[in-house]
Amino acid sequence: MAGLLAPGDLVLALETSCDDTCAAVVSGAGEIRANVISSQEIHDAYGGVVPEVASRRHLDLVNVVVDDALRRAGAGLGDVALVAATQGPGLVGALLVGLASAKGLAAARELPFAPVDHLQGHVAASFLGPDALEPPFVCLVASGGHTFLARVDDHASFTVLGATLDDAAGEAFDKGARLLGLPYPGGPHLERLARDGDRSAFAFPIAARVQGLDFSFSGVKTALLYAIRDLGPEDAAARAADLAASYQHAIVEALAQRVERALAQTGLDRLAIGGGVAANGPLRERLAGVAARVAVPPRELCTDNAAMIASAARWVPPQPFPSYLGLDVYPTGARDL
Amino acid sequence: MRVLALDTATPDTVVGLLSGDGPVAERRHVPTPGERPGHVEELLGLAQALLAEAGLSWPDVDRIGVGIGPGTFTGLRIGVASARALAQAAGAELVPVSTLEALSAGAGLADRAVLACLDARRGEAFVAAWLGGARLLAPAAVPPGELGALAGGLRTDPGGPRPLAAGDGAIRFREQLEPAGFEVPADGSPLHRVRADALCRLALAATPVAREALVPEYVRAPDAVPKRSGTAPGTAS
Ligand SMILES: [Zn+2]
Repeated sequence: MAGLLAPGDLVLALETSCDDTCAAVVSGAGEIRANVISSQEIHDAYGGVVPEVASRRHLDLVNVVVDDALRRAGAGLGDVALVAATQGPGLVGALLVGLASAKGLAAARELPFAPVDHLQGHVAASFLGPDALEPPFVCLVASGGHTFLARVDDHASFTVLGATLDDAAGEAFDKGARLLGLPYPGGPHLERLARDGDRSAFAFPIAARVQGLDFSFSGVKTALLYAIRDLGPEDAAARAADLAASYQHAIVEALAQRVERALAQTGLDRLAIGGGVAANGPLRERLAGVAARVAVPPRELCTDNAAMIASAARWVPPQPFPSYLGLDVYPTGARDL
Repeated sequence: MRVLALDTATPDTVVGLLSGDGPVAERRHVPTPGERPGHVEELLGLAQALLAEAGLSWPDVDRIGVGIGPGTFTGLRIGVASARALAQAAGAELVPVSTLEALSAGAGLADRAVLACLDARRGEAFVAAWLGGARLLAPAAVPPGELGALAGGLRTDPGGPRPLAAGDGAIRFREQLEPAGFEVPADGSPLHRVRADALCRLALAATPVAREALVPEYVRAPDAVPKRSGTAPGTAS
């Protein structure tokens, strides 16, 4: 599906909503010509993303990443038909670097521009790649910044079925990892440690009290904290793998059970997953059989990236030059999921 | 040479165009009291208006001068990111201009030092000083209590005219500056604003830099302290 563009038209997109500086070139037909992601490992030293540090780093990298994406695509700015960027939600200072850059690139060549919603981008990642899905389908997006379930009936929008009431799933992984003394970012470390553990060793709560299709991860985090305290430092260290496996199991089950409920409620038989947590092995295994078709995009389309922004831009009505020059970003909280 | 210069270090958004021998054309957005700066919404539109007025488009611009601060971090990044992208797409040279030097040069005084003084929030001021084209004081963030002490070093001739202090910081810290011997113009004076004319002339005289060398002069580090990495049970890395 080429959306509002001709199949061969190229979209250049930027994504800087958190700590990855991303640029991509995608054709109107959805062919990914380049998808460059520069991760800011600098934040590991701070134990989390520091907005001012992230914003400074985005500025260091943004033009280089754009050059790299164009070079990998074998294209120049003269070949670009549409420029796009994430408008929000995200860290304001970080978003501004990408939006100001993208508007500047477009303005200098009097190109049209498409502002893209970051969450719509995660959904639109499902329209790309070898495992692409066409609507309608159910979509689970779970990352360090957002966790929501959506019904996707067309390419340009989605309907939220449920969202987290407190932490995002990726945040729950990171916080659990921190309690277990693992380095930031904790998700992959916790998953690795859990491989050697017994997931039924501890019975952590699976957000049973939360109604409908919403999520809650504060209870499981508190349960882990108490389990570690009750065990004492020595036993907790000895049983770290069991704790990690049980904790991970509770999060995976909370996600998977809501997905099953969403599929049953909507009567849809196709599922797409996205967001950084979609890279989690046990979650992928658990969801493998829940729908007639389960699309799991490759990792680089699950974590924050600009190809998904370019994908979504194909269904955003392009704003002609110079009508977009006054666009601003919108922060996290303007549309919290 | 056609020079487009911009500054987003202060709450104002300022753009100037120098084309040939004529005067510098200026466009400016000034937020009303309590309003957020309009940098991201106004900058490109103001620049576009100047170009359109002169019958030009971006590929006609030979050089983009950018006020690199110090000033508000977010504002500086909007200015630098916009300028770099415009240059990346249209091929102009990039030159950094010190916002404080533009403020100082904008006073147009050759016979006495001008302290450029911007409100740096958190109870501090960004300051630097020039006499004619010579820099007497490098950009720094200083608490108001230290502003007065700067006067001595800026008054080379004890019988000569008093040094001038200009900028929104000079207005805010008038009570510290005037008793120490600075002349501070009236609050509404244009001397307190970064002006396009000074930006463009400094940009014209500056040497172009590589794109990634055009960076904000933050002066301050981010407010964040690196953590010691945890060592704990079962650390798998
Ligand atoms: Zn995301």
